[in-house]
Amino acid sequence: MEQNSTQVSVKHKGHVAQTGIYLGKLFRMFIFQSDWKVMPMAAVIAGLVCFVVGGNLFKTMEGTLLGTFALSCICIWNGFFNSIQVICRERPIIKREHRAGMHISSYIAAHMIYQAFLCLCQSYITLQICMIMKVSFPPVAHITPWPVADIGITLFLTTYAADMMALMVSAFVHNTTTAMTVMPFLLIFQLVFSGGFFQLEGFALKVCDFTVAKWGLTSLCAQADYNHLPMVSLWNSAFKLRNIEVNSETTEKVREALNDEVGQLDMDDEVVLEVKDLLVSEGIDLEKELNEMTAQRITELLKERGFDIEIEGKKPVWEILHYIEVNGMKEGLLLKSAEFNQNPNYEGGTDNILRCWGRLLLFIAVFSCLSVASLECIDRDKR
Amino acid sequence: MAAPLLRGGEMVLELSDYMSFGSFALQAIGFYCILKKCGKKPWHAFIPIYNDYELAKCAKREKEGRIMVLVGILEAITDLVSKLIATFMPGSVWDEFFIMLRGAISICSLVYMVRIYVGLCYVFGRRRAWIWMFVIFQGFTTFLWGVSKKFMPVMAIEDEKGVEDSGIHAEEIEQGLTVNIRQRSTSEFFKKKILLRDLHLTIPKGHLVLLLGGSGAGKTTFLNAVTGYEKADATILLDGHDLYKEYESMKYDVGFVPQQDLMRANDTVLMTLEDAAAMRLPESYSRKERKKRVMEVLESFGLSMLANTLVEKLSGGQKKRLSIAMEFISDPSLFILDEPDSGLDGVVARGLFEKLRAIADSGKIVIVITHTPDRVADLFDDVIVLAKDASRTGRLAFYGDIDEAKEFFGKDSMEHVLRAVNQKEEGGEGRATEFVSRFTYEVKRKAG
Repeated sequence: MEQNSTQVSVKHKGHVAQTGIYLGKLFRMFIFQSDWKVMPMAAVIAGLVCFVVGGNLFKTMEGTLLGTFALSCICIWNGFFNSIQVICRERPIIKREHRAGMHISSYIAAHMIYQAFLCLCQSYITLQICMIMKVSFPPVAHITPWPVADIGITLFLTTYAADMMALMVSAFVHNTTTAMTVMPFLLIFQLVFSGGFFQLEGFALKVCDFTVAKWGLTSLCAQADYNHLPMVSLWNSAFKLRNIEVNSETTEKVREALNDEVGQLDMDDEVVLEVKDLLVSEGIDLEKELNEMTAQRITELLKERGFDIEIEGKKPVWEILHYIEVNGMKEGLLLKSAEFNQNPNYEGGTDNILRCWGRLLLFIAVFSCLSVASLECIDRDKR
Repeated sequence: MAAPLLRGGEMVLELSDYMSFGSFALQAIGFYCILKKCGKKPWHAFIPIYNDYELAKCAKREKEGRIMVLVGILEAITDLVSKLIATFMPGSVWDEFFIMLRGAISICSLVYMVRIYVGLCYVFGRRRAWIWMFVIFQGFTTFLWGVSKKFMPVMAIEDEKGVEDSGIHAEEIEQGLTVNIRQRSTSEFFKKKILLRDLHLTIPKGHLVLLLGGSGAGKTTFLNAVTGYEKADATILLDGHDLYKEYESMKYDVGFVPQQDLMRANDTVLMTLEDAAAMRLPESYSRKERKKRVMEVLESFGLSMLANTLVEKLSGGQKKRLSIAMEFISDPSLFILDEPDSGLDGVVARGLFEKLRAIADSGKIVIVITHTPDRVADLFDDVIVLAKDASRTGRLAFYGDIDEAKEFFGKDSMEHVLRAVNQKEEGGEGRATEFVSRFTYEVKRKAG
């Protein structure tokens, strides 16, 4: 093995071959070093999120925003956890191997391929869990022939971009403690500046453009055709107010109810007088206060005295909702309500989705380049 | 110092202004006297910002001094910008930003000032409790320390000058290693620091060389410079080839085994070695040849039976052997080991060094750092002794065979040699400068 006389001509493994060596090593670690545990973890998280927000996902505007935000969070969480420690935990080993001829770009490339595999598996698992939990996916596909595939690609790109960001952090920091300290800050930053869930303005809004969460969320909303989904907030709020009564005609109601109960009697009738006495004995001035009492309260008072009388107050909200529903106007109202709350960022369509994917790919490229650049300086680490 | 007020066009000085001025004056006088006591130029005390650096030098906290200069400049810039903003953009959000920035810089300044005063207490042999006085009554305390003769440095402030260079140059040998390190320096926060200087030696092939030196003497720096990993102002020739110029191709001919067992714990011994072989052996090797080489090395290092064992399951000695095997797989001409026997018992360590002796006998150059040399001293051909001279630079205190070394240092063991050159604060005799000087003289004399 005399190499000395032919130093210059001796060739060693190039970038591609080294990538292969490290890829093999990483897949061995997948088995031996319990990296596989990220898969069941992804399933559990997806299951939890689908259980909580899956019901209205891709069905209503609010449900979609909440659900896609949660899905983006899953992706970012998975991506971060995949790679936040992978480089920093073996930094001294990398330094030794770099000294022995390892190409940093090959090392990072191997990690990129391996992490892509992990992210792909996690995205698939997340989708499968969504299907098992009966999440209804958007009916229309924009890029591929299958809507689920579009969603899957977005989930993958979001997870992978977050993964590459964590890989970059792992390449920058020198130990796992620092990496795990930085990670929550990054996570919170991604969630706060996702641009969908928190009201941001001015400079803060511009910052959103630099988060993976924003583009993942935007892409998912665009695929769900967010702007053309019904908005149910108004209806739900109104529905909660349906039992509010207007009491201006209560006296009349009492009179009517009493008449129904005892026949066509006048107010001077014995029963009516008894009711009047009852109300007076309760401290109620019939002339002044009856109008301010709810029908329910009067009914209760009467029932206490043995009158089986139900008095209903006037419920204008309920009447309106009933009218809208009976006349088939509900869907139109929900869509009209949505029309005033559209977000141009979430406009459905191929262009918007491709723009989001492009941004995520750009993040992936930038983060991986920065990882290489940072790790190239590994020889400067203090001994 | 608080800005004086202008009332009705007249400058009105308040009590706080007088107090600030008084404190400043006391501090300046105090600085002047302290610098004088430390043997520095006292008038530097009147140069704002820079005076902190001079004081830090007095306190043997030169690095903190450099940071203080930077912090001082930042403080001045921040003040200026802050005032400009207050004048031209009153009520702006930047105003608050600069107030916060100024606060952060002040905290930084305080921390570094405390560090410097800690050093000053050490140099003046006083208790650290004085720091509270410095922080609370800075002007008065500085003045007191400056003018009172009770406060005097108890140790030398100035670093002594190191031993002069030998001025010689090691003649190139065709079969072996020729080392001519003129200087290895590093820059740390705007300051150049010389780590190694004037190391000239040649090591013939087949030699097992012991590298000896106290902590901080520059052993690892020397090895990194020799292997070309951290380049120095030097010429390193391995079998006539310039290691620095041909580093990319020659690095595979240099094996460096680090002190720690830096291997992936969850991989098997066989796979670890196979990957090492794939990375280090030339591309021309077929898969079969590579496998053969892996098996040879496994056999040679007694790891055959452990081929399918996970690295984490190996004992300390086995891990060490695997770590060495990883580098040995490419059969390097120059083989360097940084404390390969750390954590090993005497028997295992002896076995390991016998293996290294065998490697050297096969025509390789093996350089080893060890802190327990005497149990294996008989196996070595030569010893390199590195030591810090008076200027705290790593120098060559001796290079020659083991017996000559014992004679040169007047000691009967290598551990006693090490003790002779170690600093007094490390429990040594602190005679490094003496031996560096003597060896330099000897080398010059031999060179004529």
